[in-house]
Amino acid sequence: MTHKWFALAVVLVAQLVASPAQASQEENRLMAVFLGRFASYIELPDRASKHFVITLIDENPFGSLLDDLYAGKVIGGKPVVIRYATKVEDVGQSDMLFITLVNPRSRQEAIDYGARNSILTISTATGFAERGGIIQLDFVQQHTRIKINHAAAVKSNIRIGAPLLSLASVIRGDAQ
Amino acid sequence: MKFSNLSIRLKLVVLLGASAAIALVISAVMSLVLTFVSVRDESLRHLQQTADIARDNLTATLAFRDNASAARMLDSLSTNPRILAAFIDDEDSQRFSEFVSPASPAAQTMAYLAQVSALAKNQHTPLFQRREGIASMTWSYMFTVNPIVFDGKTIGTLTILSDNVDLKERLSTYIVMQLLISVLTLVIVVFIAFRLQGTFTAPIFQLIEAIREISQTKNYAVSVDTLQKDEFRTLYTHFNDMIAEIRDRDAMLSRLATTDPLTGLANRRHAMEVMQFMVSRARRKQESFGLVMFDIDHFKSINDRYGHPVGDVVLKTVAGILTHTAREIDLVARIGGEEFLVLCDKSDLQATHLIAERIRLAIELAAIPYGEGNSLQVTTSGGVYASVPDTEVLDVYLSRVDGALYQAKETGRNKIVNWEKA
Repeated sequence: MTHKWFALAVVLVAQLVASPAQASQEENRLMAVFLGRFASYIELPDRASKHFVITLIDENPFGSLLDDLYAGKVIGGKPVVIRYATKVEDVGQSDMLFITLVNPRSRQEAIDYGARNSILTISTATGFAERGGIIQLDFVQQHTRIKINHAAAVKSNIRIGAPLLSLASVIRGDAQ
Repeated sequence: MKFSNLSIRLKLVVLLGASAAIALVISAVMSLVLTFVSVRDESLRHLQQTADIARDNLTATLAFRDNASAARMLDSLSTNPRILAAFIDDEDSQRFSEFVSPASPAAQTMAYLAQVSALAKNQHTPLFQRREGIASMTWSYMFTVNPIVFDGKTIGTLTILSDNVDLKERLSTYIVMQLLISVLTLVIVVFIAFRLQGTFTAPIFQLIEAIREISQTKNYAVSVDTLQKDEFRTLYTHFNDMIAEIRDRDAMLSRLATTDPLTGLANRRHAMEVMQFMVSRARRKQESFGLVMFDIDHFKSINDRYGHPVGDVVLKTVAGILTHTAREIDLVARIGGEEFLVLCDKSDLQATHLIAERIRLAIELAAIPYGEGNSLQVTTSGGVYASVPDTEVLDVYLSRVDGALYQAKETGRNKIVNWEKA
């Protein structure tokens, strides 16, 4: 009898521990998918680059998911290349910059870098869009919320399609 | 009432009306079917257009898993009161978002949705492998199921369910209008049929009227004529020919019945009929009428001497002299072998006697040719009677004139003797 109660308790604890991890994993998978899908609704300035470069700066929450998902994929007629950087100086010429930097100062530097180089900046960090980031993703109870700083996009010469804007909370003015 | 018992007028009207009714029914059914197909296609096209617009807007919501925006966009379909429900399924066939019109009966809508889901699953080509959706209609509802394609990949489906109220209302209106037009057209056709039937029946009734008149009056001088140049003219022509033939035959029979075949004079029967008429009229008007009876003297010896053919020549010659010498209003008849009777209408004794004497003299002076270059002469004796009739019995007058003739014969022949009351 004691063994049965113990086994039940172990299962319940395991469930409690496992659920957030599984949710996070699902969110990461969706985020990875969304990165490519955002590309379908934006128009970047013409670049000489032969690749569509997605750079992930700082911590990589996806593991090998991005590489697996975009292997052999083409966006805007260009093969997708996934890059990983730890600091802004390593970002180089990119089309999309997914920012996971925790340090607000570093994050702001990345945002500014993106703005200067017409890079679509994306992050899940709170207040990201208000601070000049272009797309902020939130996952609330397994529902996606998109926040777009349209002014920042315009400033970076990036055009965002109406369907995407229609989904998002849009910041029209200059939040910086 | 049997159709065969109807008058020609009614038959024509019924036939025209029935023909028009059949043509109208066929036309109305064909028109209804074509209208139904047209309205159905138009309704499905409108639903498909709504689905296409909604799908374009909803693609991003599904792409970014934004249920809230999807629900908001689906809710916008409520502006169309005919839409019962709409829903989005993701690529795992899980319900991503849905809209059910609060105005529609939920149980019924759910039943329709179950049917639509079953239909969609039974497609030969799975929806996720299609680029084109499906659109279909039942009597109660219509629906479209469309794949939501993002970046060349089907990431979900959009299903929209709508009722058929508009379609049914349009069809009902059309049927009512069609019925009204059909009834109106039928009334007009029947009215025209009533007006036009005369074109066909008038010549028939004209012919019937002519036949009735001939039947009642025995007047075969009637003829019918028409301005038409169709088969009725042929019918009329043949009818008139037939009547003319009857008229000629009737005249010939009448002539045979009233005429002496050898001399062409009136026969005894006809003479008696005319005499009866004259006596009745003279008696009624208290006018005198005259009667002369002639007999050729020694006619038997002429027959014996010259033969019957010469005797016939003598009879015909005497008949001709009688006809030409008597007045036009007199009737000359042969009433026996060599006996002749002259009826002198409105003549007193003096006038009748003068006529009789003129005839006797003309016969006496006439040379009657026979054979080759031969001729002979005959004389006649005549009895005369003339007065206002005192009886309708003809034999009385015949007896009187016969008595006078007998006196003429007995007193030397070739003379005229008046009847005198004893």
